Amino acid sequence: MTATYERVVYKNPSEHHYMKVCLEFQEHSTGLTAAQFKQLLVLALKDLFGEVGAALPLDVLTYEEKSLSAILRIGSSGLAKLWSSLTLLGSYKGKKCAFRVIQVSPFLLALSGNSRELVLD
Amino acid sequence: MVRFKHRYLLCEVVSDDSRCRLSLDDRVLVGLVRDTIARVHGTFGAAACSVGFAVRYLNAYTGIVLLRCRKEFYQLLWSALPFITYLENKGHRYPCFFNTLHVGGTIRTCQKFLIQYNRRQLLILLQKCTDEGEREAIQKAVTRSSLLEEEESAEEELSDSAGEATEATE
Repeated sequence: MTATYERVVYKNPSEHHYMKVCLEFQEHSTGLTAAQFKQLLVLALKDLFGEVGAALPLDVLTYEEKSLSAILRIGSSGLAKLWSSLTLLGSYKGKKCAFRVIQVSPFLLALSGNSRELVLD
Repeated sequence: MVRFKHRYLLCEVVSDDSRCRLSLDDRVLVGLVRDTIARVHGTFGAAACSVGFAVRYLNAYTGIVLLRCRKEFYQLLWSALPFITYLENKGHRYPCFFNTLHVGGTIRTCQKFLIQYNRRQLLILLQKCTDEGEREAIQKAVTRSSLLEEEESAEEELSDSAGEATEATE
């Protein structure tokens, strides 16, 4: 007697992508509030991709003012646009800065552990 | 096989002001479209659309404009056209808007569409016409264009049958 097998495959491409980023200024003493940080991101998108880019559904989930690091959420279709505009952002209000992208993942849980910073005893 | 493919956008400039269409200029239009794309799609959009961009045909009397764009980025250009709200010439601003009539792959298809479109517009004008002198002029234009239409279709049939005959002999 042959058993019939049924294979169910769920294709759920994640709607959002999560990025862990860190902002580095040339003068390390510069501080930014959360609102200013978001404005900086939108400004970067607007510069490279115009009004359409600036209107992408972007969220800052967490922000640490001391280390200037944040976790961002963007719709999956806008990941390439966001990442490229972060790469090309050179300065904020005349001060030179650069974005360091630490981790990118379609799942938020994956950002809790970073295998690059794993220390093996 | 290895050629750059383009898309031709046939647009109509609609405005309340009659001086707006007359002030349509090649360079003014290029600058205006480029600025609008830069505003809507940023540096990336401006660069992507500017590479193969050209104004191929411009009719100041009817306000018909034919824009050319690379096939990969024609949607950026198309989506930026509704954001054009005025035409600036010599310090005067005329409010207007761009109405896209047809998107074609070649100038020839756009031309064919434009001929049909103009014929239909003539008939609509005839209905809406109030002045007797204008009515006669439009009536003459309509009869002339319908005669030309018959000639064109006869020519196409001839060339089709000639083509078939040559294919048959080969």
